[in-house]
Amino acid sequence: MRKHYSYLIIIAFTWVLSSCEYTLEPQPVDLLTDELVLNEPKDVANVEVGLYNAFRDIMPSTIIAGDFTADNLTHNGTFSQYRELGNKNITSANASAAALWQSIYSTVYISNFILEKLPTITGVSTTERNRVTGAAHFLRGYAYFIALHSFGGVPEVLTTAIETNRNIPRASVSDINQLIIDDYTAALGKLPDVAPNAGYSSNYAVRAALAKFYLYSKNWAQAETYATQVISSNKYTLEPSFKNLVLKDFTNESIFEVGYTITDDPGTDNNLGLNSLFQGRREIIPSNQVVVALASAESGDRYSSITFNSANLAGTDNGWSVAKYGTPDQDNNNIVVIRLGEMYLIRAEARANQGKITGTGSAAEDINVLRTRANAPTITSATQNQMITLVEQERRYELAFEGHRWYDIVRTDRAAQIMPVFNSNWKDTYNVWPIPQREIQNNPALADNQNPGY
Amino acid sequence: MLRLLLITFCLFSLFSFAQTAQVVTGRVTSEAEPNGLPGVSISIKGTDRGAITDQDGRFSIQASAGETFVFSFIGHQTQEVIYINQPLIGVVMKESARELSEVVVVGYSSVERKDLTGAVTSVKADKFRDMSLNSIDQALQGQAPGVQVTQSSGTPGGGISVRIRGNTSINASNVPLYVVDGIQVETGTLSLSSFGGQGDNAMSLINPNDVASIQILKDASAKALYGSRGANGVILITTKKGNKSLTRINFDIQRGIVDPTKKVQLLNSTQLLTLQREALTNAGENPDAAGLIPGVTDGVNTDWLDEIFRRGLMQQYQLSVSGGDDNTSYYLSMGYRDEEGVQLNNRFQRFSTSLNVERKFTPKFTVGNTLVMAYSMNHRVKGDNFLDGVYSGALKSLPYYAPYDEQGRIIGPSSPGYAAFPNFNPVGQAVLPRFLTSTVKIVSNFYGIYKFNSDFLLRSQVGIDYTDVAEDRYESSQTAIGGYLSSVGGQGYGVFSTDKIANLLANSVLNYNKSIDNHHITALLGGEIIQRPEISGSVQGRLFPSDDFTYIGSAGIVDQGGSGKIRSGLMSAFAEGKYNLNEKYYFTAGFRADASSRFGPGNRVAYFPALSAAWRISRESFFSSNVIEELKLRGSFGYTGNQNYPDFRFLGLWASVPYNGTTGVAPSILGNPKLQWELTREMNLGVDISLFNGRIQSTLETYLNKTNKLLFRVPYASTTGFTSVWDNVGSIQNKGIEFSVSTINLDQEFKWSTDINISKNINRILYLNSDQPLNAGYAGEGTTSTNIVEKGQALGTFIGLNFLGVNPATGDAIYEDRNKDGKITNDDQMVIGNAVPKMYGAFTNRFGYKNFELSVFFQFSYGNSVLNLTKNSLLNSGSDLTSNQTIDALRRWQKPGDITDVPRYIAGNNFNNYTSNRLLEDGSYLRLKNLSLGYYLPSKLTNRILLAQLRIYASATNLITFTKYTGADPEVSTLDGSTTAQGIDFFTLPQVRTISLGLNATLK
Repeated sequence: MRKHYSYLIIIAFTWVLSSCEYTLEPQPVDLLTDELVLNEPKDVANVEVGLYNAFRDIMPSTIIAGDFTADNLTHNGTFSQYRELGNKNITSANASAAALWQSIYSTVYISNFILEKLPTITGVSTTERNRVTGAAHFLRGYAYFIALHSFGGVPEVLTTAIETNRNIPRASVSDINQLIIDDYTAALGKLPDVAPNAGYSSNYAVRAALAKFYLYSKNWAQAETYATQVISSNKYTLEPSFKNLVLKDFTNESIFEVGYTITDDPGTDNNLGLNSLFQGRREIIPSNQVVVALASAESGDRYSSITFNSANLAGTDNGWSVAKYGTPDQDNNNIVVIRLGEMYLIRAEARANQGKITGTGSAAEDINVLRTRANAPTITSATQNQMITLVEQERRYELAFEGHRWYDIVRTDRAAQIMPVFNSNWKDTYNVWPIPQREIQNNPALADNQNPGY
Repeated sequence: MLRLLLITFCLFSLFSFAQTAQVVTGRVTSEAEPNGLPGVSISIKGTDRGAITDQDGRFSIQASAGETFVFSFIGHQTQEVIYINQPLIGVVMKESARELSEVVVVGYSSVERKDLTGAVTSVKADKFRDMSLNSIDQALQGQAPGVQVTQSSGTPGGGISVRIRGNTSINASNVPLYVVDGIQVETGTLSLSSFGGQGDNAMSLINPNDVASIQILKDASAKALYGSRGANGVILITTKKGNKSLTRINFDIQRGIVDPTKKVQLLNSTQLLTLQREALTNAGENPDAAGLIPGVTDGVNTDWLDEIFRRGLMQQYQLSVSGGDDNTSYYLSMGYRDEEGVQLNNRFQRFSTSLNVERKFTPKFTVGNTLVMAYSMNHRVKGDNFLDGVYSGALKSLPYYAPYDEQGRIIGPSSPGYAAFPNFNPVGQAVLPRFLTSTVKIVSNFYGIYKFNSDFLLRSQVGIDYTDVAEDRYESSQTAIGGYLSSVGGQGYGVFSTDKIANLLANSVLNYNKSIDNHHITALLGGEIIQRPEISGSVQGRLFPSDDFTYIGSAGIVDQGGSGKIRSGLMSAFAEGKYNLNEKYYFTAGFRADASSRFGPGNRVAYFPALSAAWRISRESFFSSNVIEELKLRGSFGYTGNQNYPDFRFLGLWASVPYNGTTGVAPSILGNPKLQWELTREMNLGVDISLFNGRIQSTLETYLNKTNKLLFRVPYASTTGFTSVWDNVGSIQNKGIEFSVSTINLDQEFKWSTDINISKNINRILYLNSDQPLNAGYAGEGTTSTNIVEKGQALGTFIGLNFLGVNPATGDAIYEDRNKDGKITNDDQMVIGNAVPKMYGAFTNRFGYKNFELSVFFQFSYGNSVLNLTKNSLLNSGSDLTSNQTIDALRRWQKPGDITDVPRYIAGNNFNNYTSNRLLEDGSYLRLKNLSLGYYLPSKLTNRILLAQLRIYASATNLITFTKYTGADPEVSTLDGSTTAQGIDFFTLPQVRTISLGLNATLK
């Protein structure tokens, strides 16, 4: 009997020792550690997808920023961050501002990670190396472009050094502009001319972004040049019907858009999908002013950006909904970053500001391309000032709910005229969003450097 | 008491002669064992003759007249009887009032109470036997000093927060370690889906009727052998076992009704319409244009609370069989509980069974198994922070709408009378969806005990706690999610998820026990392996052909799904040595070493030592008192740990992410290889005193605990690419006093005893890595958040603006402009209160007269604040017009000169509704937690119907609450389980009142 016990004890001990490693060193499942994530050629494509995944999170927030901070959308729900945006009573604690900031720097982190780590990996084909490096530069540049115009001069983060980046001050506007142009320049030529699918970056997407960059910089000649390069490349064609832009992904005029499938809807902060905000909860609805604008004759078919349902009419609810991005069972939830229509608008604005009002090669010619497509009356004559206003209106019709309005009226200094009429709480403070409070709290170098008025 | 055969009568028998020894027979019974108490040892004073009672409590022994019989049995008072030729000696053993000899299970061994050196509270099942309890942790409320139990809501099977001596951690768990028959079990919420804040409760799978006793280990010494996971206290649950007796069959039935404790008073249609028109007018809008027409809009007046509330039925049945002989003992039971919630369609059902067997194969070798199994079906409804919740929906919904149409059908999204966002018909939201969480739980422990000799004993066990949760959810096209919110469901919405968690445990403990003269030594040495594998999966479907198809196989789109696996483990070695000299001076040293998989190489192992000592002054020769029977001083010092935080946080990790139909990887966690155990240093001092032969027993404890190296999710600037990283920073202090006293006031024909316990805990964050407060809880309006975590404050601190009143001239709220910048911004916010009570406790009075017994159990909490966030919607000064308002809105400011505390209503303006101490209320309460009356049928009667005992009882829970709190219930917490944001009432269902009748029968 005693013998048997000793066997048992020996067996027990063996079991204990052999299970030690099993017990104490379980391997994470479906997760990769830092050391393993990018160290051989086959990892490159995975990290590239990760970069696009991070970048696409920026886009729903830019729609909130671009349309909701301005006069295209009003609040019809219960969440306080949207109430603040709707009531023009934005605070530094606003969760939408925090979400946009975070998505920008997540993109910057992966870009920096790729730019630091990819050169050390051997065996990657030149095409792939160029493509991924180009995308890292382009998307980082675009992220900073959004950051600059949403928050002003933001911290210039160009490494993955955690300790440095925990305590990093704001850079000047000109530094960030330089960073953007450097990144775009670095990307240009490395990418394929046209991506296999508009969900990925391309040289023409960079050129389109450059056109936008120079438009915002009021460098009209360069803006026109780059817009023309894209338009006359004939790589993209206008959709015959504006409705397609509302209802479809990957239209023929899409230069760059972020891709979602039916299973991953565009999330915003709090994980609320854009289509939940616009359609499901109807937390955010088109403002009366944008409804009037889109319903005008000049807007034409662009009226299809919104829909009406009388069942929704009640109290402050005007019954209108944003039709773009659809419902989750309609797979049209991609968000367009840049499309050909915008190139015409950029060129029109650049031309108008250079005095090219009507005739061949004029602003009117570009506007009329879009008017004709929308079955709206064309423009025959206008003064320069009238044309600049016409372009502003045209941008509102054409680009409604694509995240432009606020950025447009701020860069043209028109917000101070337009916004107080829309909402008397408006003040110049809202020309930029606040630096999110949590960033100021957790980054000592940002202390006392909030945007004025917040 | 007639049944007491008064021994004293015998003593008065007239004469006795010394006679030759003869065989004397007798029978021993007790109140609990009226058919005979087996195992009682009988000895005759001054001789070595002795006997033990058999299964019927009978004995026979050689004795001669004049000799004294000594009857002794564990847990009972020792009795002496002089033999004077009685034909039969009948003795009724009394349970010992003084619990000095009570056996207390501590860690991996057990000890008699008089020998304890640490802080341990025992709760026996008879303290909660009549109460209608859903889960075993509920039974602890008010029963033990230092244990604060808060039920998060009145939902059956819902979450319960148990905190022992305060919160020790910010981001790691604060839940005590629960050990059922030696097996650590899963705690907290099991559900994978949110129901608006309220979780379910893993402990509701343990049937309170199968529990014999609960021990709560509170200080470092008592917890030493669980040290690695013991920082939050340890709760040991011992299930009922058989003992050497005749087969004992017990049947218990309890049935009752369940009602909400309080109904919030809301405006009716006309009152609300007047208010909304006023709000719009104040905002410069035309109320007619908004469609608010008197006589039309208020044509319907629905009391939504009446529509969704019901009187629930509670029923519970329990059958148990127990018994044993010299070598085998067993306890078998089967139970069923069915509790209907007070909200329509809310129901909790549990089937449970247990099987505990122990067999002694040889005098040295014993094998046994404890097995508890349960299956529960929890029919849940949404609540709290869900617009489409049932109770939350009923509070918010406008009375202008009706739940049913003229044909009596539930109004849904396709009906014309549907109020729509954010007023979804709460009746439909209750009745139509299917949220069924079915859970299987098995706690099994197989053990062997080998007694080498009188000194050495080896105990080995292998056990499992297995929990299998399946959640079956379907929301039809007539509900908010399934129908109205086309962005989510559209045509029905279904989710099915499962989670299987096993806690596997194996340990071996070698015990040593030796007494040499006055030196008593016990020691143990053990090792343990724990593994916790968990696999889970979930799938979501939408676009069902019709509401007749409710399972995901019929879904048009199956668009989200996943599965996962995670595993963690712990390896430990522990040792304990105890020494006492003459049961006067006690010394204990305990030590545990652990290695946890949750920390990186180099940081896995931590050591948890503990030392304690006790001095029983009353055993000193210089101490002589007729009054003080026992006086003991105890002290302990030691370390405990906490590793209950997410896995793999020491590694930097990338996770799979989708883009455009492909998948790649993106960073998910910034690793911190330096992470290590959270450590709590604990000190405890205690005094136990027992007076008047045990009629007054009291314990006073005081403690000072400091948790260092907090496992804390440090917020990072997003410029790093991450928003947080886990690190060991900060420290928290808990100090407090606990007092308990039990008295036997009367024990003649009329019996009266009292138990009182009062506790006070002071929690303070001593250090955090940053002076910047962290926001917690909900987002505030006009403030950063409802709660903060800040150095110098306690956990659970509320912040807000300082509301100074309503300006009689304008009707607007006046807030204190603390920074004097002329603006009211979140820079003006300040600490406005704390959810932690200054003092809490309970007092119970038990009365007995003849066959009646009455128990009155009050429980109280004093000095805690409740943030009545419900008011943020239901007394919102017009910031939105989508919610009904409470009757307090009738006090609103209406014209200049009005003196009131409710600001004027302005549609769409939230200034008057900023988060401020206007929403904060005193949450102190005194509650008649339980009142129960029992009656034993006379044995004449029970004998006739072949019953050994029959007891009928009536019991009422939460009968009366005294409080100044204006909301539904001060004892709620919408963020179930939260530490930083406790005590928030946000559309939280109040506790329920249960009134029940029961019957308990023991078969002959």
